[in-house]
Amino acid sequence: MTKSMNKLKTIRWSSVIVMIAIIAMGLGTESCKSTGKMSKKERKAQIEAAKKQLQPIINGTSTLSLADQEKEVNDIINKKLNDPTVNDLIIQAQQAIKKAYANNEKLHAQKVDAAKAALLDMLLNNEGKSAAELQQQLDVIKAQNLGDAEVNDLIYKVQNKIDGMRNKPSLAVKTQLENAFQGIADAAKAGNPTEADNLIKNTLQYFTAPDAPVLIIIYRQGNTVDYDKPTTIQRYLNFCKDQKKSANAVDAIQQDASGKIKELDLIKK
Amino acid sequence: MKKILALTIFASLFGTGLFAQNQVPPVEITPDRKHAIDSLALEKVRDLSKYISIIGDKTTPWSDAQRVIERACELFMDGAEMGVSSVNHPEQITNYKVREYFDRLMQLNYSKVVIDWYKIQYVSDLERQPDGTFVGVITVYQKFQGYDKEKGLVYEDTTKKDITIYVKRKETQIGGRLIGFWDVMLGDIRVKETSKK
Repeated sequence: MTKSMNKLKTIRWSSVIVMIAIIAMGLGTESCKSTGKMSKKERKAQIEAAKKQLQPIINGTSTLSLADQEKEVNDIINKKLNDPTVNDLIIQAQQAIKKAYANNEKLHAQKVDAAKAALLDMLLNNEGKSAAELQQQLDVIKAQNLGDAEVNDLIYKVQNKIDGMRNKPSLAVKTQLENAFQGIADAAKAGNPTEADNLIKNTLQYFTAPDAPVLIIIYRQGNTVDYDKPTTIQRYLNFCKDQKKSANAVDAIQQDASGKIKELDLIKK
Repeated sequence: MKKILALTIFASLFGTGLFAQNQVPPVEITPDRKHAIDSLALEKVRDLSKYISIIGDKTTPWSDAQRVIERACELFMDGAEMGVSSVNHPEQITNYKVREYFDRLMQLNYSKVVIDWYKIQYVSDLERQPDGTFVGVITVYQKFQGYDKEKGLVYEDTTKKDITIYVKRKETQIGGRLIGFWDVMLGDIRVKETSKK
């Protein structure tokens, strides 16, 4: 017992610790190497997964965006699976993505062309659409977010046109109203109250309600606008009949979504 | 004390103009703007003359006459009166509340009534008062003719009448817009002269 104790005492403990450390480091690096390397089983699984990921991209059935599909293919390439089938599928997938991009560009170009044509039509407004109708059409184009400078410029111009139409009545409606006012006055003057009443009834159909407000501008200079006491369309039409005169022109019309007049501004002729 | 407080709150609400169709502080009036206000007031008197003619006209359907009476009454301030005279007793002038006057006019015992207002003009220009209200006087000449079915024209006279005009600047909200308007109100109509023709 004493012998063995003496032997232990003679051992250089510092050297033992150094040796243990070297062995441990060696073991440590060996274990790292084993995790970085792919086992055959793992590689096979990753090849199968890659095939499954690439197939919908090639078939065009992937639900991912083209950018995400591109990322997925790159991730597979980076795995360096070095499998001939996967490599072939990668090439096919890259070609499919490229084709899809080209298709998208073509579709986008078609949408841009269609939008430009529609916007130019809206600017001309040969069909005499109301501000509300044009706005509805414009909103659909806006929602497409085409990101085309020329389309954006046209959108701006059409919006300005619509805003202008809202502030100024369309010639057709303005003329119709002024003709109706004059017609009522003329019928009353000619001693034909029934005709005047019929015209009043017909004219009221342009409006959202018989009590739609009518404002009559008596003075306008710069920002200063003076009005007569506000009235309603029914009262105004009866006024034309009673006074046998149509002394005011249409200055502005506000219509609702269905094109009916909800507010009318008149101005002394 | 509570009553005083309630009255104070009520008065201050009116004073600060929290109610619809508020009166607003006086605004700058250029000659052009004043001209537009003068014309508006004159136009209201012309409108009244047409209404009176319609109400007096025996051919006007009753429903139309009632509607026109409503519109005519709206031209006046509350409590406004209309002076009436007769060429037979020119010194005897009766003042009726305007609605009563219109009702009587509609029921006059003639087969045909013709009323015509002419020479409608300012005798006293609209002048701004300390509270911002414009007040003026417009004079009119009224020719009245009453016909009998068989005898024809049985009565006619010409009356000169003075109408006091009040014009107030008010504001109201319409469709989200603040509208500044001139509210023209007619006051009493007084008989100044009555002659046979």
